[in-house]
Amino acid sequence: MKDLVEYIAKSITAEPDEVKVTEEDSDEGILIKLEVAPDDKGRVIGKQGRVAEAMRTLIRVKAARAETRARLEIL
Amino acid sequence: MDKEEAEPVVEEEGQVEKEQEQPGGKVPREIAASTAMEVLDTLLKLMGVGGEVEVISGDLPLSLNIESEEVGLLIGHRGQTLSSLEYITKLVVAARLGEWVPLYVDVAGYKKRRQEALQRLALYLADQVVTRQREMSLEPMPANERRIIHITLSDHPEVETHSVGDGWERKVVISPR
Repeated sequence: MKDLVEYIAKSITAEPDEVKVTEEDSDEGILIKLEVAPDDKGRVIGKQGRVAEAMRTLIRVKAARAETRARLEIL
Repeated sequence: MDKEEAEPVVEEEGQVEKEQEQPGGKVPREIAASTAMEVLDTLLKLMGVGGEVEVISGDLPLSLNIESEEVGLLIGHRGQTLSSLEYITKLVVAARLGEWVPLYVDVAGYKKRRQEALQRLALYLADQVVTRQREMSLEPMPANERRIIHITLSDHPEVETHSVGDGWERKVVISPR
């Protein structure tokens, strides 16, 4: 699940080496945590959260295929 | 005036990409097309969805189509998955090439068919609005679809259109002129 987030985040950030994605199981499915350099936060969130929203949509598809749910948190 | 009417060239972009939308044109089209294809292909693989990406038009805006067994999944509710896939592809391609490349992503010709259906729907509802002399609203749609409705009815002598609501709930209202 996290490789999708990692690919997108590393592609669109100025400091891809600072991108850290972790994944943990919770009661409500998989929780993905995305951490980026402070200056990159705006890039992975986007204006009005548009980038984050798009990432969440794609994750949801992947989670649905795996018959689970996934949440994305941006730290 | 509506945002999607005010910016007729790029229908669904937020303000983030504004500065990148300027036609740079430094990257050769073949490179832009092959990069877009590769990015979209990678996204599909990472999503675990099987599909073949093809370039329908190598001229700008680039037009890519996905042939897949899982059409419904890739389109998503109200085309939300397809919009997200297109948006992320644009962002990654822009970051890769250092230049904003206008491009469309379609799934099994869905957008094309949808466009035709929306044009018919717009004209049909416009007739209803004129007959009943009261406004009617369509169901919520993404910006690119609302834009099709606005444009289809922009020259209509007896009705006018505007959008109401926020985000994924935003919808077009057709009212008598």
